[in-house]
Amino acid sequence: MQKGDRYTHRFKITLEVYNGFIEVFKDKNLIHTDEHFAKEKGFKSIVMHGNILNGFLSYFIGECLPEKNVMIYSQSIDFKKPVFLNDSLTLYAHIEDIYESVKSAEIKFYFNNSDGVKVTTGKVLVGINL
Amino acid sequence: MNTNEILSECNKIFIDQLDNPAIALKRETTAATVDEWDSLTHIQLVVAVEKHFKIRFTTAEIQGFINVGAMCDTIEAKLNSK
Repeated sequence: MQKGDRYTHRFKITLEVYNGFIEVFKDKNLIHTDEHFAKEKGFKSIVMHGNILNGFLSYFIGECLPEKNVMIYSQSIDFKKPVFLNDSLTLYAHIEDIYESVKSAEIKFYFNNSDGVKVTTGKVLVGINL
Repeated sequence: MNTNEILSECNKIFIDQLDNPAIALKRETTAATVDEWDSLTHIQLVVAVEKHFKIRFTTAEIQGFINVGAMCDTIEAKLNSK
């Protein structure tokens, strides 16, 4: 892994993912579960939990990078636009910088929805070759 | 930037990274004397320091820091050699 390396990965917020998130974390806030409530708030449908995308990011870091000996040290994520059930999302990530002294890489990322709209941005500090 | 100014800048970085406004770094400060400074936050601190001063440490330099003062001395040397 080197500075400037770029990666993409596709995800879909399926019913299985949505139900699984609620089953595990119990966040049944009306914005996520009540269609009428969500529409009243101006959304086209129930809004998916933003932290589902953190799960996708975890999968990407843990399973999709060329280096498997990795560990997330810190991460930040900003939610720009809502995401909805059955949305297809593409993760774009690149190595922003490498910190050899502590065997770490800073990875910047964003998710686009299928309309090409950036829905989430963030960065993550990953230990590599620990 | 002299060593005292570097120490002051490092103090701000430590306060931010460790989320503890009470931190008051001295040259003698070590990880053992700062509660939040553990092996995980150590990495975040090093990255934040490298970013802030736009320098890079080597692994050997990191391992050789006996206290904050030693780190500040290395930072100063790197800044002066730019």
